[in-house]
Amino acid sequence: MRLVFYSGGDEKNNKSLDKAFVEILDKKNPVVTFIPSSSYLSEQEFRVFVKHYSQFKITKFIHFPIDVPFDRILFQEVMKSDCIHLAGGNTFYFLNSLRKSKIMPRLKKFVKDGGVLTGLSAGAIMMTENIEMAAYPEFDRDENNINLTNLAALNLVDFLFFPHFKNSARYDAVFKKYTRFNDKIIYACPDGSGIVMNGPELRFVGKCYAYFQGHKFTIN
Amino acid sequence: MNHVKKRPIDEVGKNPYPAFAYLNGKHPFKDQVPGGRVEYKARYKKGGKVAFFNFQLAKEMGLINKTHAEVMSADLEKEILETFSLVIINEYDLINEIKFSEDEILPNTFMATRYLQLQHPDKTGKTSGDGRTVWNGTVRHNGTTWDVSSCGTGGTKLSPACNIDKKFYQTGDPSISYGCGLSEVAEGLETLFFSEVLGKNNFKTEKVLAIIEFDKGLGINVRANPNLMRPSHFFGHLKQGNYETLKQVADYYIQRQVDNRVWEQSTFKSDKEKYYYLAHQVAKSFSETAAKFEDEYIFCWLDWDGDNILMDGGIIDYGSIRQFGLFHAEYRYDDVQRFSTTILEQKQKARYIVQCFIQIADFLSTKRKRSLNEFKKHHTLKFFDQHFIVCKNRNVLQKIGFKKNQQDYLLKSYLQLVTKFRNVFAYFERAKSKRGIYKVADGISRDAIFCMRDILRELPQLYLTRGTQLPPKDFTEVIKSSYAKKRDLRITAIRRQQIIRFQSLYMELIIAAGKGTAQNHNQFLLEITMRSSIINKYDRVTGDSITYIVAKVQKVRPKLSANELYQLALQFSSYQNLNPDQKPINPEVPVRHQNIMRNLYSIVRECREGL
Repeated sequence: MRLVFYSGGDEKNNKSLDKAFVEILDKKNPVVTFIPSSSYLSEQEFRVFVKHYSQFKITKFIHFPIDVPFDRILFQEVMKSDCIHLAGGNTFYFLNSLRKSKIMPRLKKFVKDGGVLTGLSAGAIMMTENIEMAAYPEFDRDENNINLTNLAALNLVDFLFFPHFKNSARYDAVFKKYTRFNDKIIYACPDGSGIVMNGPELRFVGKCYAYFQGHKFTIN
Repeated sequence: MNHVKKRPIDEVGKNPYPAFAYLNGKHPFKDQVPGGRVEYKARYKKGGKVAFFNFQLAKEMGLINKTHAEVMSADLEKEILETFSLVIINEYDLINEIKFSEDEILPNTFMATRYLQLQHPDKTGKTSGDGRTVWNGTVRHNGTTWDVSSCGTGGTKLSPACNIDKKFYQTGDPSISYGCGLSEVAEGLETLFFSEVLGKNNFKTEKVLAIIEFDKGLGINVRANPNLMRPSHFFGHLKQGNYETLKQVADYYIQRQVDNRVWEQSTFKSDKEKYYYLAHQVAKSFSETAAKFEDEYIFCWLDWDGDNILMDGGIIDYGSIRQFGLFHAEYRYDDVQRFSTTILEQKQKARYIVQCFIQIADFLSTKRKRSLNEFKKHHTLKFFDQHFIVCKNRNVLQKIGFKKNQQDYLLKSYLQLVTKFRNVFAYFERAKSKRGIYKVADGISRDAIFCMRDILRELPQLYLTRGTQLPPKDFTEVIKSSYAKKRDLRITAIRRQQIIRFQSLYMELIIAAGKGTAQNHNQFLLEITMRSSIINKYDRVTGDSITYIVAKVQKVRPKLSANELYQLALQFSSYQNLNPDQKPINPEVPVRHQNIMRNLYSIVRECREGL
C-alpha cells in the first residue's frame, strides 16, 4: 500500500513531503488524478495543484470532481492513473459525495492494486477508518452542515490522522482524553509535515506528534 | 424626516453620498429629445426597505467611495430610499384630482421614454414606451456616464394596458397585472442573479443597482448601464417618419457613445459619415451579440421592434431571457397570439435591426425615408454577415480553451481548419432527438442530444492520458446528453465519420496552436484542460435554474439582510464565472449561507441541460 498523508500548508512547507511522494511514485510520466472535496471552484484548485506538481515533471493530470455525475470513460482513466489525490475541504461533504458516487470500493481496490493515494487535510482523514477527527476537537472542527451520521471512511490504515495541528495544551488535553477511551493512535501533524506509507514502512516527514492511551509522543 | 430630494447644489459636499443627488429626475434626454419622452411629477413612496444594493456597481459608478465597506449603513439606506423610493403622479391621479401632501412631492419631474413596442395596437410607437419605468438620471464617474432607471414606479400612459383599454389606470390597480405600473421583487432578483452571472461572463447587460421592497412582494428595481437606449427608441420615430425626433435621438445617442469613449471614432466630417458610422457600430455589436447568443445558447426574443435589447447588443428585460443548457434550437416561446423566434432565427432578426439602422442613416442623411427593402444589399449588411462568421469562429476556439493570442493566430493562419472544425462542431451541437417537437411548460421544443461542454471538457484530459483518439463508442458515451435516447445515439456510418473528423480536426487545432508556444504537446494539452474545465464547467445556469433559484432565494429572503443578499449574489456569480482569464475570487461563504448555496448549486446541476 502506498499512501501519503499531507497535513496542509504551502508549496514551501511541503518540500520534503513532496520529495517523499515523488520517490514512492517512482514512475516516469505518471498520470495523476485530482479529486476535489467539492466541485465548487475546484477548477481553480486544480490549477494550483497542477502548477505545484508540474515542478516534478508531471504533465498528465485528470480533474475529477465526484459531487457531479461523471461518465464511465473518464472514470476508467482515473482508475488507471498512477496516483489519485484527495484534496482538502469540508470532510463531511467530501465523504458524503464519495459515498454517493459509489467510488469508495474502487479507491480501495486502486490502492490494493498498487496505485498511490495521497490526501491533504480532509483528503488525508478520508484514508483513515473514519472522519471523527474532522469533528474533533470542538474548537477546531469542520461544520457538519449536511448532518452526516455515518462517518466511516476508507479505512486503509489503523491510525487516525489530525491535520493542521498546533502544538498546544488545548489540543493535548482533548487528544489525551480522546485516546484514553479509544485504542486508536492519533498522528497529529502541523502544516508541512505528514506521513508516507510505503508497504509496511511508515515514515514521518517533519515534526509529528502521536497520542496514544492518554499520552503524547513527539516524532522527529 | 424630509423625504424630498434636494437639488444637487444643496447636497454636494454636505453628505457622505453626494453623487446620489444627481439621480433626481434630470436627464439630458429630456432636454435633447423632447418628443421622445413624457414627464411625470413624482412623490416619495413610503414603506420601502432596501432589499439589495450592489456595492461593486455603486463603486464603479462613483455613487459610493471606492473604499466604502460593503455593508449597509443607516445613512446609505436612507440615501437609497430617498433617491429611488418614488411613485409617479400619473394621468389617473390628475384626472381624479387625488391629493398628495406637498411635503412628499419631489421637486423635479421624471421621464418615461417613448419606444416602439409590437404589442401596442398603434404599432408605430406613438403610444408605447416605458409603461412602469422612469429614468432617475445620470451619474458620471471615471469618464463614463451611467443611466439609471427604476421599474415599478407607477403606470404611465405608454403602457400597453392604457392603450389597449383606452383608459388611464391608477397605479397598483388590481384589475390589471402588467399595466398596473408596479413591479415585483422577484423580477428584480431574477435580473440580479442572471445579469450578475452573464456580466461576469463578458455579456453586455443591464445591471441591478438596487431593489427596494414593499409589502406583498412588490418592489422598485433600479437598473443601470452606461447607455440604456434601445433600438426601439429609434424605431418608433423611424416608423412615423419623424425626422426631427429621430435625428435628436440619434444625436443624443452618438454623443453619449463619444463621451463615454465607447467608439473608436469620435469626430465626423459630416452628418452622413456620423449616421453611417452609427449603423456600422450597430452591425458590429449585433453580429457579435447574435453569434454569442447562438454559441452560448441565449434565447432572447429579438424582434423588429428591438425593445428587448440595448443598442450595443446588451441584454435588458430578463423576463424574456433564457439560457439553454444545450442547443435546443427549436424551442419557441408561446406568447398566446404567436410563437417567438428560435435561437437560430435570432441572427436574422439582428440583421434586420441593422438594416433598419442603415435606413435610419440614409433617412437622416437625405431627409428622405426610403423603403427598407432598398437596403437589403447594403455593404453594412455584408459586413454584418462576415463579422458574424468571424465571431462564430472565435467563439468556438474560445470554447475549446485557446487564449486570445492563440485564437488570433489560428484565425489568421489556419482559418480553413477553424471553419472545418466549426462545421463538424455544429453537426453534433445541432443534432436533435428523434422524439421530435413536443410541448413544454411555456412553448414548444425539440431536444438537443449532445452536450458540447462535456466533450470539450473531457477530451483534452482523455488525450493527455490515452494519447490516442477515442473510439466512436467512447466518444458518444462522453458527449451524450441526458435527453439522448438509445435510438438517438446509434453510430451510423455518417456519425462514425463525423466523430473521427471532429477528433482529427480538434487535434490539428491543438497542434497548430501549440506550435506558437514554448510548451511541449502535453503541457499545451494540460493548459487547454485547465482552461476548458472552467469554460465548460459541468454546472452552468439555465433559464429554468434561475427561476428555481429566485424561488429559493425568495423563500429564505425574509431572513436575509440586504448585505446578505448582496453576498449571496456575489458568491453565486463567482461560482458561475466561466472566464479562465479572470482572476478568481474565492469569496468566503459564511456558514449561514453554506446550506443556501448548496441548494443553489444543486438547482443549477439539476437543470444544467434544460431550457
